[in-house]
Amino acid sequence: MQALNYKPVHTSEKEAALRKQVRLFLAEYGPFDTPNLIDSWSVCDPKFSRALAGKGWLGMTWPTEYGGGNKSYLERYVVIEELLAAGAPVGAHWVADRQSGPLLLRFGTEEQRLEFLPKIVHGECFFAIGMSEPNSGSDLSSIKTRAERVEGGWLVNGSKIWTSWAHVCQQMITLVRTSPPSDNRHAGLSQFIVDLNAKGITLRPIVNLAGEQHFNEIFFDDAFVPDDRVVGELGEGWSQVMAELAFERSGPERFLSSYQLLEAGIKTLREANKTQQATIVIGQFVARLMVLRQMSLSVANQLQAGKLPVNEASVVKDLGTSFEQELAEALRLILDREPRSTAKTGVERLLSDAILKAPSFSLRGGTREILRGVIARGLGLR
Amino acid sequence: MSELAQLIEESASRLFERFSDSDAALEMEAGGFPEQTWQEFVADGWLTTMLDEEKGGSGLGFSGGCLLMRLAGYHAVPLPVAESLLANYLATEAGFKPNDELLVPAVLLQTVQTKQVTLQHVPWARHASAVVVVFSKNKQTHVSVIARENLSVEYGQNMAGEPRDEVTFDADLLRYSEILEYISIEKLLSWLSLARASQISGALQRVLERTVEFANERTQFGRQIGKFQAVQQQIAVQAEMTYATVCAVDVAIEYLASPHEKDLIACAKITAGEAAGYAAKTAHAVHAAIGFTQEYPLQLSTRRLWSWRDEYGNEAQWAAKLGENCMDLETDNLWQWLTTHTG
Repeated sequence: MQALNYKPVHTSEKEAALRKQVRLFLAEYGPFDTPNLIDSWSVCDPKFSRALAGKGWLGMTWPTEYGGGNKSYLERYVVIEELLAAGAPVGAHWVADRQSGPLLLRFGTEEQRLEFLPKIVHGECFFAIGMSEPNSGSDLSSIKTRAERVEGGWLVNGSKIWTSWAHVCQQMITLVRTSPPSDNRHAGLSQFIVDLNAKGITLRPIVNLAGEQHFNEIFFDDAFVPDDRVVGELGEGWSQVMAELAFERSGPERFLSSYQLLEAGIKTLREANKTQQATIVIGQFVARLMVLRQMSLSVANQLQAGKLPVNEASVVKDLGTSFEQELAEALRLILDREPRSTAKTGVERLLSDAILKAPSFSLRGGTREILRGVIARGLGLR
Repeated sequence: MSELAQLIEESASRLFERFSDSDAALEMEAGGFPEQTWQEFVADGWLTTMLDEEKGGSGLGFSGGCLLMRLAGYHAVPLPVAESLLANYLATEAGFKPNDELLVPAVLLQTVQTKQVTLQHVPWARHASAVVVVFSKNKQTHVSVIARENLSVEYGQNMAGEPRDEVTFDADLLRYSEILEYISIEKLLSWLSLARASQISGALQRVLERTVEFANERTQFGRQIGKFQAVQQQIAVQAEMTYATVCAVDVAIEYLASPHEKDLIACAKITAGEAAGYAAKTAHAVHAAIGFTQEYPLQLSTRRLWSWRDEYGNEAQWAAKLGENCMDLETDNLWQWLTTHTG
């Protein structure tokens, strides 16, 4: 059994100075509207994303030749955790910055990098993720969306679903089947960069239970994708998706989605006569948060060293999403307030949002059950 | 794993591996003491792990000590490893001459107003040559070393059968004391809880290994039980909490002597306590009836987990302190508090 590694990390003066800069920036732009504080990385505000771009905080770790900042993963970590903790609306660029850009850096052609990375860095191009389908969720390799070879490219038919902000994004990294299913379920899948404004693509909005519309279903009807928009090797889509996982699953967004509720809950308790029980609950959650942050920082540092600690990342995500879900459940019992969806401000509104949005926390990016399966395999079970 | 941890593991494992079955532990529980292994432990220089080199120690400090305690926790060693290291360090720091005797620590919290002093749950007192009593006098931390012949000892044990005795001695003996600089009672209580958290982090790893191993061997319904998703999902969470504890303890060790030492140790003990309960519960569920027997060695670790999580402050007690600290902020902002505590 291989032990998991979460060696403690020390950030330096450099990160501390950067943290200060982000706080100054946030003092200027914040505080943000209460209804946008919970799960703020699902709140889309292209103007805010461009303001971040102006500070050089998109594509921070990418090489300068593509417009990136050539900064470390720890520096990026400091910026994104400050934004998330403040409840800043970072949803527009989130996927492009976290995932699509790094994917192109790793597997894309030089032409693709030159085409897209500078636009992402400037906040001019946002990416969606096209993986799930109506009949393929956790069982991702069962996707049916297929691409057929035609002159100069591919014709795509099928549909994708649960695609956040596809109606705002310009591009989508789309997983498609480029050869028929075989005994190897993971073979024959490829990733395409799909222009969401192209002919043959239609969007149907889906409203979630909190009344928000950021999901979409996307239909492909003979949509043409040119050859130069294939990412990496044809047929290697699965292994490319797997390579993203350590980036996708280990970040602070996996435990900070409801963080603003904790801050507001503490404020409320300080103004009231807090009970011993309430103090204990806060202490338990703060301890969990402190440790999660250290684990997540450690993974960021390993990514910096060129490793892909997928199991370590899965642990962060499972513990992290449990934390952000259970936070609302615990606070409602010690705050003596009723959740209120119609409140414009205050802890009642945050409670309501944290409860209503919580189910998605442990679904997106690999469900809890899938993650635990990954961890079990890492332990030598299965 | 750090180089230091690896070095300690390689050299101390030879001694600790002797305790891989239940026999030695059961002997201890019946009142015995593995004298020969203890002598080797001392001869190999482990007793002075925490002492500075100029005081004849290895200079590894409390952080090195914690790594040895973790290893002892992993092997469920029926010896007072954590206790002897700390007591030896406290006595030496207070100016007593280092020696090879078994010393154990005890903290006296209340002011003495009686002729006799009684201390509860003193670890391993019955086997010790002296108890190192730490107490507060005139706003300073004092240390008295009370020899075994001056103690009346009433035997007691924790759930793992480890000696936790009641000792009584003449209050007059506390007049012979030395001042302990730099270490307050509060800090010592915090250190004792990190010692337990370190032991727990080791025991959790051992329990996880045993559980995975068993799930891969035991066959029911025609396949290994580790192939069942219901079993996998529970063991996965056990692993998550185990590694969260290892990380929390590593971070607390890393930030010893920082201004936030106490809060980070609180985080470590809270994390360890939560993991201890979950891991023990899951390991026993997976092992089923055989794990419930005295003969099967799983209980050596799980009974220690159940005991250690309550010793020197359980999750709720430390969470109350941590919650008090982080809610009492002048800045009115938890985030700032969190990000100044560690990198």
